Amino acid sequence: MDKIRKIFRWETALVGILVAQILIFGLINPRFLKINVLLGSVNDYISICIIALFVTFVIITGGMDIQAGSIVGLTSIVMGLLWKVGGMNIWATIPIVLLVGALCGAFSGFLIAYTGVQAMVVTLGGMFLFSGLAVVISNAAVSSAFQGISGFPAEFVQLANGKSFGIPNPFIIFIVLIIFAYLLLHKTKYGRKIFLVGVNTNAAQYAGINTKLVIMSTYILSGMGAAIAGIVLTSYLGSSRADFGAELTLPIVTAVVLGGTIITGGKGGVIGTALASLVIGILKFGLQMVGFSTQYLDIPVGILLIVAVAIRSVSATGGLKFPKFMKSKGQRQKMAGSAK
Amino acid sequence: MKQIVRKVFKTPGLSSAFFMVALFIVAGIINPAFLSLDNLQLCINGSVMYMLLAIGIAFVLMTGEIDVSIGSVLGLSAAFMATCVRDGVSLWIAIPCTLAIGAVAGLLNGYGVAKLHVSSIIMTLGTMGILRGTVYIYTQGKWVENLPDYFKRYTQASVFGFVNVFLLVTIIITLGIHFYMSKTKKGRYLAAIGDNINGANLIGIPVARTQIFAFVLSGIFASLAGIIFVSKVGFVPPTAGSGYEMKAIAACVIGGISLSGGVGTVIGAFFGAIIMSSIGRILVFLKFPSEWDNTITGILLIVIVVADSLFRRHSAEKARKERLSARTLNEEREA
Amino acid sequence: MRKLLATTLATAMILSAFAGCSSGSTTSTASAAGSTAAPASAAGTVKKDAKDINVVFIPKLSGNAFFESANVGAQDMAKKVGFSCKYDGNPQASVANQVQIINSAVTQGADAVAISAVDPNGLNESLKAAKAAGVKVVCWDSDVNNQYRSLHVAQGTPEQLGQMLVDMAAMQMTDAQKKNATFVFHYSSATVADQNSWVVAARAYVKTKYPGWKEVSQPYYSEQDAEKAISVGESVLKANKGITAVICPDSTALPGQAQAAKNLGMSGKVIITGFATPSSMKNFCLDGTVPKFGLWDCKIQGAMGAYLGYWLAAGNTFKVGDDIDIPDVGKVKVQPNTVLDPKAYTADDSGVVVLPERVIFDKDNVGKYNF
Repeated sequence: MDKIRKIFRWETALVGILVAQILIFGLINPRFLKINVLLGSVNDYISICIIALFVTFVIITGGMDIQAGSIVGLTSIVMGLLWKVGGMNIWATIPIVLLVGALCGAFSGFLIAYTGVQAMVVTLGGMFLFSGLAVVISNAAVSSAFQGISGFPAEFVQLANGKSFGIPNPFIIFIVLIIFAYLLLHKTKYGRKIFLVGVNTNAAQYAGINTKLVIMSTYILSGMGAAIAGIVLTSYLGSSRADFGAELTLPIVTAVVLGGTIITGGKGGVIGTALASLVIGILKFGLQMVGFSTQYLDIPVGILLIVAVAIRSVSATGGLKFPKFMKSKGQRQKMAGSAK
Repeated sequence: MKQIVRKVFKTPGLSSAFFMVALFIVAGIINPAFLSLDNLQLCINGSVMYMLLAIGIAFVLMTGEIDVSIGSVLGLSAAFMATCVRDGVSLWIAIPCTLAIGAVAGLLNGYGVAKLHVSSIIMTLGTMGILRGTVYIYTQGKWVENLPDYFKRYTQASVFGFVNVFLLVTIIITLGIHFYMSKTKKGRYLAAIGDNINGANLIGIPVARTQIFAFVLSGIFASLAGIIFVSKVGFVPPTAGSGYEMKAIAACVIGGISLSGGVGTVIGAFFGAIIMSSIGRILVFLKFPSEWDNTITGILLIVIVVADSLFRRHSAEKARKERLSARTLNEEREA
Repeated sequence: MRKLLATTLATAMILSAFAGCSSGSTTSTASAAGSTAAPASAAGTVKKDAKDINVVFIPKLSGNAFFESANVGAQDMAKKVGFSCKYDGNPQASVANQVQIINSAVTQGADAVAISAVDPNGLNESLKAAKAAGVKVVCWDSDVNNQYRSLHVAQGTPEQLGQMLVDMAAMQMTDAQKKNATFVFHYSSATVADQNSWVVAARAYVKTKYPGWKEVSQPYYSEQDAEKAISVGESVLKANKGITAVICPDSTALPGQAQAAKNLGMSGKVIITGFATPSSMKNFCLDGTVPKFGLWDCKIQGAMGAYLGYWLAAGNTFKVGDDIDIPDVGKVKVQPNTVLDPKAYTADDSGVVVLPERVIFDKDNVGKYNF
């Protein structure tokens, strides 16, 4: 009960930051407050939001996934090639592309779960591997990797550029995915297994949970999340390129950890991640709106990250904690003496 | 052969040396030009920058934390150092100031992690962004270029005609640190904290101070790597250092340092850095179309790390079985 | 104590937001907030005043010598004419980032955008939206789909630039070398549109003019990373012993390759040439490592791009074939898009302005340029 209360406190803090941002930026530039401006801006960083939702699963189990960005590029180029060179119907490529994402995730997930290698390095290798494969595939099938594939059918391009009920489609996709991920993580037995594996892998193993399969499945999920982001991005830009998503790696991790998920695993939530990715996105967009140049945006995002988490951990541990030895010199000497 | 392999994997840090040699041999088989003495020299001399980065981050990894800001620290230090060199500031002033940048960054990281209890990945992600933005403000987005030759020639300077000065100094530093971390009491604090932070707390190790110390060292080494960058490359774009932290972490992991802390030596990081830095050069020699660069890098990385893990597991399993059979044998004898 | 810390940090964050506003550009927040959305001046009846016009100057990526120099040109032009020019670029060259910057420029109420595009087609949707919002679109250095922009400031066709690369190398060869030279390319990556198009054109030109030449290996990529350029550069020279020429059409690869040659003591023994800014290559040029290399005046290119954006936003219109007078540059003719690509989209209000010249730098003139 306490844990739930703590999580909700963090999510409400995020909502508070979000509202504060909108108000402050709106004060400086009233154009910011227009609802279609706000929602429309989400389109530009929707990839981070979508992928971060599923990377949350990975991080809760105590793993790390830095290859998701490269999977975006790979799925985008596979989609383009299947459509252009393979002549497939663009909508029919979607399930294939999802499968590709799942396979990529399964590859790394298998290595991480069954051979016990560090997740960060395997996914680092995966990052190089998948982005490299994207370039190789596109060079092999089309004459040049640098031209990209474009000219997709208009209905497909409208998928990410259109609006339904006045709300941009990618935002709707995002909401649907949030609901799906939330139900999966917080309401199913599978979700509970994920938490348990993250809290104490050995205990989960002894309790009869197939931890290896669970861990591998989280990577499959994040791979599929990356594939979905690849589809949306390809539709949004109307173009298919091997290097999509290359810059997404660290922003995704930033969104997940800002959302309250602990990097060592066992704690976290989908709602937090969703809110955090919105907070970061709106912060960047808002700062641009008030005149910041993009190349300086890293500074406020970095400060926000540190400040937000510092406040949280400081309040969680009940004020700045000084280890006992630091309290008084006499005590420190006593302890040092006894430790020898 | 098996005995040698097993012994190599038991000695701390040498498994990565094994992989390095294996990698070089494979490259040499495909293109014998790679194994020429001067090319190998180039490879190893060229890895000095990564070695310093890897050694620096090894401190932090040993304590069970992570530091992804070293790339930005390198960038800022390199930009500052290059500006000093270009404007004729004396090296006696420029170098300590540059190292101070790294130390301050490390202090910032260390304070956040140790005192404010911010998770290290978040803290260093934040400082990474802040420092990168600072580089832009400092350089106004422009390259620092046209540095005087005398500074660039330091990378070529050698002792006894063939041992590069920077490499020699790095080797001495590595050995010194290895000795410090494995034999001295204070040095062992790092591994102790990484292994069991609460236990370390209880037996009286000054955890917070040691953590801050680790981050400060990581920052100073990143600055040192930045100085080497200026000397080796000769011009500094504002993006210098982006992505280097991942390579340094990979170098450490290849070298046997566990990301959960407490395990590994800087010697492993040393050889791991040579591997990571040489991959780019090897790819040129392999005469593969360059579009395969990333794919091969990824495959190499995964193969090395998985092989290392499997070897370790295998030998740990074997050792466990031996202990088990020895115990049952003893029990039988006693019965 | 804790609260004080929190509020101080929060205030620092907000203050840094304001600090960033005044750094690096002449945009004032007041104008962004106060100006109402400029209606599309369709027939050019409403001529706007220079100081009300806001041009957003978007490079492929920031922190790169070439684009920074182009920005210097753009800012100088803006100061002279009196419009405001904001430089907005992402440190990583990516299509998604550029689209985000374009969208943000449109919502901020920019009157024009001047873009060097990462991808010719990826920006289509956002430029369509920009056009619908009345924002004028011009391109420079790297063009987009011609339907979505009004003017493009081109440095030359891919054929011209590819030829230039080959000619610069040939200029430094002896007659014997010209017969059967060996060469390779070293540039950023397989996905950068313009560099690859120049390389493709260069290869075609070599086949016709210097059939004896041999490209001994696939191109090498250093991904615009300075350190990688050096280590790849050194390996290139070591793995391809006796190579005649290394051609580097990338502003990071060329200085890196030059430094690598110097490190190996091969200054002058191998022909190294390509495209890079004169300021980054000055020392290499003077000491003989790279006696000839080329570029075009990217300061002027940036200035032209920014000016044309302002000129269109001010309500002027043009037809293909017109002359436009650009301060300090002179009269430039608007040519049809087919000048660059015979299959291009043609319309009366879509054209190309070609830079008057490309420059080959050598030790006599390299010092004269300050970009």
